[in-house]
Amino acid sequence: MDVLGFLLVPFLAGLILTGIHAYLGVHVVERGVIFVDLSLAQIAALGTTVAFLAGHDLHSETTYFWSLGFTIVGAAIFAFTRVHHETRIPQEAIIGIVYAVSAAAAILAMSKAPEGTEHLKDMLVGNILTVSWKEVLTTAVLYAVVGIFHYVFRRQFLAISVNPEQAQRNGLNVKWWDFLFYTSFGFVVTSSVTIAGVLLVFSYLIVPSVASMLFTDSIGKRLAFGWILGAVVSALGILASFQLDLPTGATIVCTFGVVLLFLAIVRLLKPRRVAVGG
Amino acid sequence: MHRLLIAAFALVFALNAQGKTLNIVTTTADLASITREVTGDRATVTSIARGFQDPHFVEPKPSFLLLLRKADLLIVVGRELEIGWLPALLDQSRNATIRPGGPGYLDASSGADILDRPTGPVNRSMGDIHALGNPHYWLDPANAVRIAIQVQKRVSVLQPENAAFYNSRLESFKQRINEANKRWTAMLAPYRGTKIVTYHNSWPNFVKRFGLNVVGFVEPKPGVPPSPSHLLALTNLMKREKVKVILVEPYFDLKTPQAIAQRSGAKVLTMQPSVGGTPDVTDYFKLFDKNISKLVAALR
Repeated sequence: MDVLGFLLVPFLAGLILTGIHAYLGVHVVERGVIFVDLSLAQIAALGTTVAFLAGHDLHSETTYFWSLGFTIVGAAIFAFTRVHHETRIPQEAIIGIVYAVSAAAAILAMSKAPEGTEHLKDMLVGNILTVSWKEVLTTAVLYAVVGIFHYVFRRQFLAISVNPEQAQRNGLNVKWWDFLFYTSFGFVVTSSVTIAGVLLVFSYLIVPSVASMLFTDSIGKRLAFGWILGAVVSALGILASFQLDLPTGATIVCTFGVVLLFLAIVRLLKPRRVAVGG
Repeated sequence: MHRLLIAAFALVFALNAQGKTLNIVTTTADLASITREVTGDRATVTSIARGFQDPHFVEPKPSFLLLLRKADLLIVVGRELEIGWLPALLDQSRNATIRPGGPGYLDASSGADILDRPTGPVNRSMGDIHALGNPHYWLDPANAVRIAIQVQKRVSVLQPENAAFYNSRLESFKQRINEANKRWTAMLAPYRGTKIVTYHNSWPNFVKRFGLNVVGFVEPKPGVPPSPSHLLALTNLMKREKVKVILVEPYFDLKTPQAIAQRSGAKVLTMQPSVGGTPDVTDYFKLFDKNISKLVAALR
């Protein structure tokens, strides 16, 4: 009974993460900006560090708005560097540079802080095992709002992710919609990382989307497949972590890896039929 | 009404505790070792962090929640050492007894001699500053006795029927620590005043007890690599002061200390700050035996 109680909250957190990230993952994979979540999370962490350096408490509202502000700046950078026809600089390069520079800047900021920095590193990293009911509830509400926003404007968001040139020709302001996408994305990722840590958030984002691409091309089917996969892997990973007494987040990440490998083998043994027509 | 409830709660608690062995959870292996000296076989004592882990960073595992759930008493090092991981585990364990302020929560630092308490404004020249003082206080045998006294007081409240037993165990521990302390002090007596450099500021209580002199730290801030000018200044300082030994905890990277040692002609010595850091160090006495003989061998 005790064990079940401990299992429930992490599992619910896993479901919430699956809900939003399996969806955002489809966009991220379509855009080919695989590491954008790490980069945005690092910018947010830099914001937290700078706020801490300015003398604000780590868990205060001011600190949160600092980190949100930095995230929005990051979103703007990514929205305005998406296509650069003259130089052909790939966006992944920009994402990598932003990651490295903001991680290094956080180290510099920490070296100037007078006290308590050894805890700072730890507080930026969440752990899904010790997530609280309150965190689960507030996150659920927050992600529901972002989800509704994306549902209402689903045509625009899908258009800029899948075929930005076409969207531009159809009169969409791609840079503006990109900015909205990265801002809402950064908002979600920043909260997720404090709950589950960088590795786990990355897995929830990318693996369901990649796994579903093994079997289907349709965006709708990929979404459904990703949601089911995320839920199943959350349950399996959390159970394994309790059975084998292993750190929960890392166990779920490895479960994602094992399940993806299994699905890839299934795909190899049973090649899907080539779609007729289309 | 309120007072009646508390009285009833205390009675139920005392009845529950009566006759059964106490479940004691400590955050570090050092606290577990000292607690076992007091409780003997009348309590089950389990440590969350293993001796080879950096107690600032412990990865929460499911078994920790079950341990805390069943615990009658939680003993922590305190001074914010466990701030990065313990509060969330405590929240999730849903065991009201062992929450801070509860009858089953003991901050072992409450009676100990705590060093490095910042007085006045904190600045960079002071090195790594913990706002509540240095949490590595268990590395002084006198503090081990102070911790044991706190433990004895608390377990005697939880199990009054064993109070005499716990008291006699405490007296025996005090006596053995005093004897061992004489031996350790004698071993290090020839090196009184010797200047050393340490990696992290983990040893202020240790060096104060045994009369050593820490003149610098390799890493001025945890997680922040030393700047070239810091390395240069440290190397020059070590040459000038003829520092022969750099003390490093086993969980830190040896590359930087080794580079400094090479340039300054010193030796890098790994000393473990906790019981259980290696399998042969099974209790508090063996921790000091091993560390001090290694230190003497390096200084000789």
